[in-house]
Amino acid sequence: MVWIAVLAVLLVGVVALNVAVLRLNMQIEKLGQQRLELEAENALLESKVSSTLAPARIEQKARNGLGLVPAADPTYVELRRDR
Amino acid sequence: MSPKLVNRRIRLLFVILTIAFAATLARAAWLQGVRAEPLSRLAATQQRQTVELPARRGTIFDRNGVPLALGEQATTVYADPTQLKSARTVALAAERTLGVDAESIYPELQNRKRSFVYLERKADSTKADALRARKLPGVGFYAEERRRYPQGGVAAQVLGFAGQDNQGLAGLELSLDSSLRGKPGKETVIRDPFGRVVDVLSETAERQGRDVFLTLDHRIQAQAEVVLRETIRRWHAKAASAVVLDPRSGEVLAMAAAPNFDANRFSTTRPDYLRNRTVTDTYEPGSTFKLIPVAGAVSEALVTPQSAFTLAPSIRVADRVIHEHDPRPTVRMTVADIVAESSNVGAITLAETLGSERLAGWIDRFGFGRRTGIDFPGETPGIVLPLERWSGSTIGNLPIGHGIAVTPVQMAAAYAAVANGGVWVQPHLVEHVVGRARPTAKRKRILSPQIASQLATMLTGVVSEHGTGLAAAIPGYHVAGKTGTAAKALPDGGGYSTSKYVASFVGFVPATRPRLVILVTVDEPTTIWGGVVAAPAFQELARFALQYLEVPPDAPVSASG
Repeated sequence: MVWIAVLAVLLVGVVALNVAVLRLNMQIEKLGQQRLELEAENALLESKVSSTLAPARIEQKARNGLGLVPAADPTYVELRRDR
Repeated sequence: MSPKLVNRRIRLLFVILTIAFAATLARAAWLQGVRAEPLSRLAATQQRQTVELPARRGTIFDRNGVPLALGEQATTVYADPTQLKSARTVALAAERTLGVDAESIYPELQNRKRSFVYLERKADSTKADALRARKLPGVGFYAEERRRYPQGGVAAQVLGFAGQDNQGLAGLELSLDSSLRGKPGKETVIRDPFGRVVDVLSETAERQGRDVFLTLDHRIQAQAEVVLRETIRRWHAKAASAVVLDPRSGEVLAMAAAPNFDANRFSTTRPDYLRNRTVTDTYEPGSTFKLIPVAGAVSEALVTPQSAFTLAPSIRVADRVIHEHDPRPTVRMTVADIVAESSNVGAITLAETLGSERLAGWIDRFGFGRRTGIDFPGETPGIVLPLERWSGSTIGNLPIGHGIAVTPVQMAAAYAAVANGGVWVQPHLVEHVVGRARPTAKRKRILSPQIASQLATMLTGVVSEHGTGLAAAIPGYHVAGKTGTAAKALPDGGGYSTSKYVASFVGFVPATRPRLVILVTVDEPTTIWGGVVAAPAFQELARFALQYLEVPPDAPVSASG
């Protein structure tokens, strides 16, 4: 009887192990898909950031959206202390 | 119930069970023995799948880490005509969602001999999802990477472009293809009846493409392109180009040619707009080349910047008479005056003092007639006549930048050597490739620091009240440079055009501690003078870059406090 019980436990263990492996494989597949989706989203966002940083676009927004004008040349003054 | 009847029923049940078991055994033997091989093959094709693991193409960044070229996920949409219920429905749906022409794809979808037809390669994923939602049988989708240039035309000729299969076709995309391109991996998996992966039999991991960082600064690059476009518009020119270098390191901060193009639409662009003309095209430099005989004569200790010459209004060299650009009487000029006022007669006089052999040596020393070795494909060495083929008048042409063809990047590198205290540094575009050793730029001393300093001082005279390049002056900074106005050689080799010129200006700023070398060339402007056409473009670009890079002025207004 003991041997039957041990055999039964071992069989259940093998089945449970296989089920766990299957589950893990499915999880890996799902995570792999998620990784690809996130990489794609990341590339899209990087692309959008770069497009947004394009100087021509910023200038157009500044001129037309905010009514700004290009800054005049800065004047540099060298200060010297009189003795 | 009698025992006899019970026994009969048990026997019947036994017989039935025996027959059922025998039948099952026979079936099992049939499947496992006779049909084993074809069935296991069928199972393998249904459950086993080998999929390619795509490798991402590396991103190209500017020096500040802003992406200039990167991969975006797109969806390729295809159809299997043998599986379609209605070719017409699919064609119309593709037109509505993807924007493809239904009439052009309809005949292909009707062709039942084909089992694969692209509806659209690398379609926008959102549009593809709209078509996917219609669940049309026979229409399939798979993800593919699409190369995208998020800043459109910025540095388009430098970056080049990658083709439909993500292979580099031009520019840095081509020359860096082996680094940018990854290696796809492979995976063999077992799927359950629902298509879920239950086991991975084998896997070869993909190798992602390497990212590349350039020396370009996208803001200076964009400004260079704006300035060139404006210059072309203002002077009704055919084309223009600009190179911005850091003379200390040889890093190219901007490399622009106009007209340019949107790299995302390269296939519809005129082929001549695709070229990075600063590296692949040559021009006759005109007076900007006067630097070479002057540098030679001063270095060989034949003259000093203060040496004076009596110069006639014109000079005869063999069968040619060369005049000044503006008529003048006989005058006495120092070497510094010859540079500042861009005297043709003076430059030829200095070249004759130097002699043909030494002049040829100095042309070679400054790197003309040889590729700079810039990390860009298709660089031309330019055209320099070998000494043995010089005619009597060659020494009258070369000192004033005629009879020689140079690239803008060669000329910028030559002036950068003067700006860098006499050390020529190889110009380069690639800062580093991620995971690889940083490249080191070649360096060689071509002038002594003292001579370089004297030349720089003489070149500041060009951007002064009596010089030809006053329009390049920038308040607060000393600017050193040289104007160039060169008639274009006629294509049939029969002399020079009287109406077509290349106007140019090349210089560095701040002249006392140079941070930027900028060269601007303008092809066929309506007003021909480099000091009028190219010097203002230099000034505009330099002003922007100095402010943007926060370069302290070397000629500030003084105030007492």
